[in-house]
Order: sequence, then structure tokens, then C-alpha cells
Amino acid sequence: MEESSKRSEQRKEMEKERKKGEKKRRKEEEEEEEEILIFNHKSAEKEKEDEDLSDSEDSVFSGLEDSGSDSEDDDDDDEDLKVDQNLSQQEEEEEEEEDVQSSLKKKDEEEEVKRDEYEHDSSDEEDIRNTVGNIPMEWYKDFPHIGYDLDGKKIYKPIRNKDELDDFLDKMENPDYWRTVQDKQTGSDVVLSDEQVELVKRLQRGQFGDVNFNEYQPQVEFFTQEVMLHPVTNRPADKRSFIPSLLEKDKVSKLVHAIKMGWIKPRRDSRDDSRGRYYDLWASEDTSNLARHRMHLPAPKIPLPGHHESYNPPPEYLFTDEERALWEQQDPVDRKFPFVPRSFSSLRLVPAFPRFIHERFERCLDLYLCPRQRKMRVNVNPEDLIPKLPKPKDLQPFPTTQSLVYRGHSGLVRSISVSPSGQWLASGSDDGSVRFWEICSSRCLKTVQVGGAVKSVAWNPNPSVCLLAVALDSAVLILSPALADRQVVLSSDRLLSAPQEAEPIEGDGLVNWSDTEGEELNQGIRLKIQHPKAVQQVAWHTKGDYLASVMPDHSSHLQVLIHQVSRRRSQNPFRKNKGLVQSVSFHPIRPYFFVATQRSVRIYNLVKQDLTKKLHANSKWISSMAVHPGGDHVICGSYDCKLSWFDLDLSTKPYRMLRHHRKAVRSVAYHRLYPLFASAADDGSIIVCHGTVYNDLLQNPLIVPVKVLRGHVITHELGVLDVTFHPTQPWIFSSGADATIRLFT
Amino acid sequence: MSQLQARFFTENKKYVVDDVPFSIPAASEVQDLSNVINKLLEAKNASHTTVEFDFLVRGLFLRTQLSSHMETEGISTEDVVEIEYVERLTAPEPEECMMHDDWISSVAADSEWILTGSYDKTARIWSVEGKAVMTVAGHSDVVKDVAWVKRDGLTSLLLTASLDQTLLLWEWNSERNKVKARHCCRGHTGSVDTVATDPTGSKFCSGSWDKMLKIWSAVPTDEADEVEEPGDRPRKKQKTQQLGLTRTPLMTLSGHNEAVSSVLWCDSEEVCSASWDHTIRMWDVETGEMKTTLTGSKVFNCISYSPLCRRLASGSTDRHIRLWDPRTKDGSLVLLSLTSHTGWVTAVKWAPSHEHQLVSGSLDNLVKLWDTRSCKAPLYDLAAHEDKVFCVDWTESGLMLSGGADNKLYTYRSSACQMDVGA
Repeated sequence: MEESSKRSEQRKEMEKERKKGEKKRRKEEEEEEEEILIFNHKSAEKEKEDEDLSDSEDSVFSGLEDSGSDSEDDDDDDEDLKVDQNLSQQEEEEEEEEDVQSSLKKKDEEEEVKRDEYEHDSSDEEDIRNTVGNIPMEWYKDFPHIGYDLDGKKIYKPIRNKDELDDFLDKMENPDYWRTVQDKQTGSDVVLSDEQVELVKRLQRGQFGDVNFNEYQPQVEFFTQEVMLHPVTNRPADKRSFIPSLLEKDKVSKLVHAIKMGWIKPRRDSRDDSRGRYYDLWASEDTSNLARHRMHLPAPKIPLPGHHESYNPPPEYLFTDEERALWEQQDPVDRKFPFVPRSFSSLRLVPAFPRFIHERFERCLDLYLCPRQRKMRVNVNPEDLIPKLPKPKDLQPFPTTQSLVYRGHSGLVRSISVSPSGQWLASGSDDGSVRFWEICSSRCLKTVQVGGAVKSVAWNPNPSVCLLAVALDSAVLILSPALADRQVVLSSDRLLSAPQEAEPIEGDGLVNWSDTEGEELNQGIRLKIQHPKAVQQVAWHTKGDYLASVMPDHSSHLQVLIHQVSRRRSQNPFRKNKGLVQSVSFHPIRPYFFVATQRSVRIYNLVKQDLTKKLHANSKWISSMAVHPGGDHVICGSYDCKLSWFDLDLSTKPYRMLRHHRKAVRSVAYHRLYPLFASAADDGSIIVCHGTVYNDLLQNPLIVPVKVLRGHVITHELGVLDVTFHPTQPWIFSSGADATIRLFT
Repeated sequence: MSQLQARFFTENKKYVVDDVPFSIPAASEVQDLSNVINKLLEAKNASHTTVEFDFLVRGLFLRTQLSSHMETEGISTEDVVEIEYVERLTAPEPEECMMHDDWISSVAADSEWILTGSYDKTARIWSVEGKAVMTVAGHSDVVKDVAWVKRDGLTSLLLTASLDQTLLLWEWNSERNKVKARHCCRGHTGSVDTVATDPTGSKFCSGSWDKMLKIWSAVPTDEADEVEEPGDRPRKKQKTQQLGLTRTPLMTLSGHNEAVSSVLWCDSEEVCSASWDHTIRMWDVETGEMKTTLTGSKVFNCISYSPLCRRLASGSTDRHIRLWDPRTKDGSLVLLSLTSHTGWVTAVKWAPSHEHQLVSGSLDNLVKLWDTRSCKAPLYDLAAHEDKVFCVDWTESGLMLSGGADNKLYTYRSSACQMDVGA
């Protein structure tokens, strides 16, 4: 800004100066005009004034003064020249002004006549004997004359009646014949004098025409390479020798500007002359007919030979002993070159090429097997393919750090369950005990010895009762831990001791319901449901009355049982089960029932009693399943490290497969309130993911892995066995093979 | 920049130095400044014994070099720096270690006696010297919280809250060493996690897992309140469990969506409660209405209120101690975050006699002593416990107590702290 303002100021000043100058000039002109009126009387004065003017501008043209010689006469000339220039500078020339000039010129001419400047002029030695000029003389061959002299009279050709014979005789007899030449201008013969002959001879020899000229006279060196004491001239150094030329600068800057603007192109790289020197075998290929074909593939090219192929390669290209040994060891396919570079002193010694047939055959194979089709490859930035996921930081809250460790079990803890109030945690372990923990203090408040490895525990989701279902061996126990309000304990007891209507239905004989007594009753075990086979999993219905148990047995008809606790009834809902049932779950809202077998998840409508949907999990062996609290989404963990999310409204194929675990996924869980789900695996890690589900059917669920939680020690190749969320807080519990339960918050 | 102009001043008359600016090296640390002050005091008073000082620059403790401290706080080094100095709080020394039979869930102490609640379903009374005086047994489940109600002479009233959904009001005669359950407070339908007595000792407030706060009368009477029993319940069973006279709540304050974890009285009309639903609520006891809600982002485990600085301190599951101004209306303005714990903060307690100091206990086995003027790091880490710390307390006499899952109750005392009390 400052600079520009300065510049503008300068410009203004210059403008002012210019205006001033113009004004001055105008004044001068006016003065001149005045003077011109009285010019005739004052011409001398005018001259003087002009001289003055020239003096005043001496400084500008000081260079001119130097160029002049020292002589007095020349000085005068210079003066005139200056005057001329001054005059030419004047913009408007008046007629009267012209007069002044002409008068000056006249003066000049007078001086020149005095000097006779053409005295030595030999520049145009015109032959003035014949005035026709320098024309072809044959134009006059039909005329008797050959031109005109200065007075305008015809110059007649000399009478020539010499024939061949005369000429011959003349040649034989006339001793001056050889020095006789015909003058084309006049047509007469001229006999050259001795001096002239001598001159011709000298010129023919390439010597100077002047005999007296000594071409070898000693040279007087004016400028020598020897450093002399005194300068040759005493001229001060030119200003231009130490001041950069503005003109040049201007020129260069113009060039630079032109290059920048692209008006002129800088010189091409001179090395790029290959076009001229080499013949490109394939150059014209692209213009051929085939090239116009859209899917045309040019034939594969033979690689150009390198130094290795040379008959006498530089030594570094020759094999050392090791390289040679390596080459021999290698499989022919793996070799870098199919030959060993060899060196011959001359091309003559190179033997016949033994691999010629081989090489030609390979070349044919190359051409024959080359791809015929162009693979359309879309050029996509890999970054663009990654979906834009929100940052985990923005998806809080989710569990991030381990807060509490619940220690007490002595065997691996297979299953955990949190009470619906969020105060208690139940865990079942291989050490044959079920423990109840206070969540906030990690205190084990109750231990129930059930006498067998506990496979699964499930807290009744109904908050008005306080019951825990425990699966061990071939029995399902219903525990009343008495860890709630007395009212709740009483109501749950009432539920269990409901009037027994001994009505044997279809489930009869399959399972045996029995009340417990004595020690077991004191511990809180209220009911025992004896199953025919080992029970792997128990799952409650949301209302808390129905209980499903899973007895995996390959292709048996009796794998899933549904018990009604209040009426002590059991039924086998399926006439036929396909595959090994892994896990079951009730739909949280609607009367649906989810059954996960090894490869697929089947959804049954319990009211209509038919198969609603079958989900294909794309995994080898489903290990666990969890149903979203909304009921429209299911996640499945599998032993082949995958977690698949199914959107039931979308498809029977997984909406998303998450392969973040490195070992078998053991357990998956949804949070009841927060948009969170988690998977636990044998690699000892729990991966917490954010999974927002939208009510809008058009919007897909947003699944973002947010945290990997580690803490469990891998024991016996087993890591985390079960995982479950706190019902109200964004906390996650995990039980592991290291006999601990951990809380991450 | 190697020298700074500094002016020293102190509140303590004992250690006053001349009010003239001194030129001190910019790189000097607390120890150097302390030496300077000691030199000055010695010059003034030959009998002066060396005292360690702590230095405050614009209300913040100096913990690094003076120049770097001023740089981080953005204080100009051109002017004369006003440096306040106080006698340094010496590290609290563990005094007594009282072994319990089980985890200690709560502690309440006054100048003479210490009351602890334990997971072995009993409360215990200890003398300050660490002598077990009394075991108060009566609850059928874990004692979650304890509180002193009143002390007149030899008889004291004390409260225990338990997981068995009741509170017991006990009368304890220290001379005869007899304890008697006066009232059994029934009404909660979840474990009673917290109890607090009002400043006058006539009422108390309890918070429970059933999301309710209940206000009870703390005055022992000889009449049992009528309890509306559901008709179908067998009466016999109830009689056998009775211990003391039944008492029903004066008032129930409902509004929390999750378990109430901590409750306290700000003054005799106002109750403050912290809950697992991420809120701290202030209640008017007269009308039973909720006055203010402070919303946090994590579960609150404990709160403490200091009438000296009128600040609430809360400990939550995200390892931070936060200081709140309870007078802000429905704002969630956190004044200060104290971060150093690595586990849930399970207990906080303001110093009763110092407006800047508080003590906190955490699941990371540490008890930390904080000064709000040095919010970056605690003053001292008290690493006596070998397991989770569940409760801390700080008595008027400057005694700090902490108990936890290693069955030990530690008492600590800091010498300077006691001096503060005396001053």
C-alpha cells in the first residue's frame, strides 16, 4: 500500500514536472513566434540562442561530444549536428524555422565546395565512353553501333571481318595475340601493356594489385596483451560500464513478462532430439486402424536390451562367482535374466545365439497369451471409500476405563447378569457357585453353591420380582436371592409358589419341576427344573414369566424348551430343529422368538406358530446373539471372529460385518438405553461399538467402533466369556476365564 | 531476565516481613523463596526457627519456577509481583490404624469419638486414640452409612443406615457404654446408602437406592409411628424383626431418576443430594420442593459442602473431583476440576476449618489432600490403604480419617492443620 501510494506520488510529481516542462516549452514557443516575426533582423541572435539551447542540453547528450574528433573543423560540424538535433527535437516546425535550416545548410555546402570532397572518390568508376550502362551487349548485336558516347553520337562497331582462319593465323603469327582482349564497351581490341599484364598476373596469384604494397610490413600493435604502464587513452570509464543498463533491464523484464504470460516459450530442451536420431518401432501404432477400436490392446513390447545383453558389457554387469552360483541355483523362472552376461573382445568372436529358438518361442507365447481385454479400472482415492464416521469422542458416553474388579470366583466365570435395578450383579462360574455382587463396591454379598459348573445365569427382567435363572448340567434352577425390597421378594416367592394345577400337557415327561428343600432352600434356590439333557443357556421373556432353555444336541427335536414359571408348565415349541441350536432370545416387544443355530438365525412368530424370517449369518458357527431393545436389529457373534449386525427391516443378510476381533467372539450384548453394543472375544478384548438406530426406515443404522477394552488375562486360551451392560449407566461388565469380573466405565 | 521484583506479604502476624520490594532470581523455586523469608525473619528476630513456607501468586500455589509459573498464568514480569506466603502444611502423618473385621463403608467422627459402619453389619465406636469402645450390632445387612446426631453430655444419639432398607437411631451412653436402639426407621424400599443429620440435630435425611430422599425426625420418643401394613402380610413375621420403635418419615422427596448416593444439609432448611442419574439436586425441606438441579455427565458418588467457601465438591465415577457453586440456578457450572485420581472418587470431604482444603478417597487406594489454590496436583497423596477407599472424614480438630476395603481405618494429622485450627 505504502509503496503504491509513494509511486502514485512520484507519478504525480512527474506529471507536474511534465506539465511545467510543457508550459515552459509553450512559453518558449510563444517567444519564438514573437521572435520569428522579427527574425530577419535578428537571425544572428536566434543562432546564438539556439546555441545556448544546445549548451543547456549538453548534459543530456554529453556522449556525443566525446565521439567527435579533435580538429577545429569537425568541431564546427558537431555544432551543426547538435543544432540539427535540437531542431529536430522541436515538435512543431514552423515554415520560418525551415528557412533557418536551409540557410544553415547553404552555409554548410559552401564549406564543402571549398574542400572538394570528391577528389579521391573512386567508388563509382563508371565507364563513360559508352553511356548504355551495364547491359548485355548482345542487345546491340543486330545494330551497326554498340552504344552512344557522351555527346549522344553512336559508337560504331569496328569492322570485323575476321573469320576462323584469320583468327587462327593471327594467333599463330601475332606475338601480342595473347595479350589482346576485346573491350566489350567499345568492341575494339586492346593490347594490354606490360604493367597491365603484370597486374593481371598478380591478381591471378592472389597478390595485392599494388606492387609497392608490402603485405608483410611489421605490425604496430595499438592494443596489446601486455600490461602497459600508461593507459592507451585517458578517457574516463563509461558510465554504462558500471551502471546497469536500463534499456537492457527493460528488455529483459519484457521478455520475462512475456514468458510468464506464455506469449513466448522458452527454448526447448535441446536433449530432446531423440525423434530425429532413433526410429521408434511402435510410434505409428496408435494411429493405426486398431487403435480406434475402443477396447484395443496393443501387443506387448519386447523390453529394450540393456548393458547385460551387450557383447562386451562393463565389468560391473558381468556376474561374480557368487552371482553366477546363485543364478545356477535359482529356478529358471525366478532368474532375473535367462542368460549369463558374457564379454567378448570383439563382435567377431561372439558365437551363435543358442537360445534363439527359445526366445522366439517365448515371444510368440507372450503375444499369444497377452490379455485381450482391457480391465476397466476406476481410479478411486482409497480415502473416499472409507465412510465418514463420526469421531468416537463425539459419541460419548461409552465405557473407557476399567473401574472395578470383582474377585472371588475360583473357576472361569461363564456367565454374568445384572439385576434390572442395576444394583446387583450375578455371576455363574465353573467352581460351582453363583455369586451376587454389589456393583458399586465390588463386594460379594452372597454366594450360592449350586454344585455344578454354571453355564448360564439370567436375571428376571421384571422389576417387580427378584429371581435368577441358573443353568447347570441338566437342570435349570430358579433362585430368589432376596436382595430387593421385601415386597418384591414376597411377590417373587408368590410367583413361584403358584397353585400347582397338575395338568400334564405335551411337555410332560420331558422335564421335571420340583421344589427344593433344606439346605438348598435356605440358600435361596426355590425351583429346580430337571431337563433330559445338558442345558447351555437360559433366557427370560421381558415380562418375566416365560423362560427358554437351550439344550444343544445335533439334529435333535428337543433342543429348545419354553417354561412358564407361574404355572410350572414346559413345552417344546418346535417339532423339528435344523442344526445345532446355539442361543435363543425373546423379542423384547412382540411375540417373536429368535433361535440361532450354527449358520443362521430363525425368527418364529409365537402366536401364529410359524417361521417369519431366516437370517443368514455368513459365518461358520454362531456363538452368541443379542436382540436390540427396539427388536428390529440383531447382532450375532461367531467363532470365526466376526460380528454381524442384522437389520430385520432391511434384509436377511447381515447389514454390517465387523471383523475386529482376532479370536472367536464369545459374547455380544446390547445396551438397554444407550446406543451401544459390545462383543467379547477369546483374545481378551471387548470391543464397544456405537450403534445408533433410527426410526426412519430409510436411514441405515450408524455403527462406529469406539473403544477396545482390555483387562482380562487369557487363561487356557480363553479370554472374555461373557459381557453385559449395566441397565441404566453406560457401563459394561465382562467375565473372563481368569475368574474375575470387571467393570468398565 | 534473571531478576524479578517481588513483594512478600502474609496474613500471619507471626511471620510478617517488611513491605518492601525485593529483587529475587526469576528461576527461584519454593525452597529458595522459603529460604529468603527465613533469612529475613532471622534478621528481624534472632530467635526465629526455620519454618517452611508455601507461596501464592495471585491465589495460586507456586509449584514450579517462579518465572514459568508467571508465564503460564500470564502475569507480567515487569511489575512488582505480589507474593503471599503461608506456612506450609506439613505432610499428614498416619496416627492410628484401627482394624475392623470387614470392609469399612462409612466413617463419622467428632472431636472425641469415631463412628464407623462396616460390611459386617455392625457399626463401631472408637475413641480418637484408636481404642475400640463399642460395637453396635442390630442390622440384618451391611451398614452403608453412619452419622452422629447429637451429644448431650454422656448420652449421644447416632444413626446407622443399612442395606436392609432401614435406619436405626441409637442412643449411646458413653459412661455406662450401653447402646440402645431407639427407633427403627422404615419406609425405604431399597438399600439406604446415605444419611445426614441437619445442623440442629432435630432432623435427618436419608437417601436410598429406591431413588427417594426421606426426612425423619431425630428426636427419640417413646411411641411408635403407625405403619400402614398391607393386609395380607402375616403380622407375626414383622414382630420378630422389630428392633426399636418403628418410625416413619416426615417427608419424602422424590425427583431423582436413579439411586441417591449422597445427601447432606447445606443449612437447616436445605438438603442437597447427589445421585446416579448424573444430577445434584437442592431441596427445600420446608416445602419439600426441589430448588435447583446441577447436571453433570457422570454418576456422582459423593458430595461435600463447605460453609466456609460455599462450594460443593463432588466425586464421580470419571475420576474427577468437581467444585460447584450451589447457588447458580439450574446451571451446571463447574468451577474447578481436580484431577489426579485414577479410579472412581468415592469420598470427598471439605476441611471444616479451612476454606481451601479438602480430602478425597478413591478406588485407586489413595487418599489425597487437596488445596483449591493448587488445582493441578494435590498437596499430598496419602497412600496408606492397600485396597479401595470408601470413606473419608475430617474433624473440627484437624483429624483426617479414611477407611476402605482393606478393613483398616487410618487417622492422619497434620501439624500445620492443627495450628490453623488454633489460629
